[in-house]
Amino acid sequence: MFDADEDVGGNGLRILWMILCGFGIVLLSGVITGFLSAHMEAGGSALKMTDYAILATLISVTLLLAFIIWKLFQRMKSIGEKASRREKTYNRFLIGSFLFGGVTGIALALTGSFDANETDLFATGAMSPMLAIIMSVSVGLIMPAVTFYWHKNVVDEQEEAAYRFGALIAMYAFWFIAPVWWFLWRGGMLPEVNGIALYFITIFVALIVWFWKKYL
Amino acid sequence: MKNQLKVLRAMRNWSQADLGEHLDVSRQAVNAIETGKYDPSLPLAFKIARLFDLPIEQIFDDEFEGGNDV
Repeated sequence: MFDADEDVGGNGLRILWMILCGFGIVLLSGVITGFLSAHMEAGGSALKMTDYAILATLISVTLLLAFIIWKLFQRMKSIGEKASRREKTYNRFLIGSFLFGGVTGIALALTGSFDANETDLFATGAMSPMLAIIMSVSVGLIMPAVTFYWHKNVVDEQEEAAYRFGALIAMYAFWFIAPVWWFLWRGGMLPEVNGIALYFITIFVALIVWFWKKYL
Repeated sequence: MKNQLKVLRAMRNWSQADLGEHLDVSRQAVNAIETGKYDPSLPLAFKIARLFDLPIEQIFDDEFEGGNDV
């Protein structure tokens, strides 16, 4: 008997490919924008045949990646019409978060409220007090409240276990990477230990393990 | 841990999403339990047993074959 569920499995590889294709689209969009910007800076004369060929190739590959994402999404959706209460809340939460993040990002970019260097993820320079307060309240108050609700009411026990294992491995990664980096810095082989870099490494490790345990 | 979840689900003609809806867990969770990648908690195991009206040990098999250890 053909079992569509067995064929689909945990959807892990499919989601992984969708993420990789998404990164590909972002990268290629950057290349296309860079190519056109360089052309405009060089005078903006009519494009040559080779330029058209390069652009057509880049756009074709971008569209192909978008098509692959759409096909993979359709394949995931084909057996997932029914969803539990938790899954529906989960999906609503994800869509809400993307919309909130997207609208906030676009609003900041369009109003030019803050210096681009201020809002850059890895910027280390000074920040305006207003932005510092907004970011602190978001990360220190809103996110913990949302996270508490997320773990209490939205994720199921299998995902909770994936989070726990991810957190454990991330904790060990921090415990081992931080002193190794510190020793190598003292030995003059690495730049000074960067707390923010360690923070992101820890999050990245937790995310990778969570994804592995939830989907693969 | 081996289990009969896939067979029991098929007997009721349920998809993994259907079973997930009954248990209030995601389809991924049902898939992970069926494939033995995740062992459910005791409360969820009892919920599964009640849903299929079977004792837990008829659904889940810890592959214990007797001996001195408990």
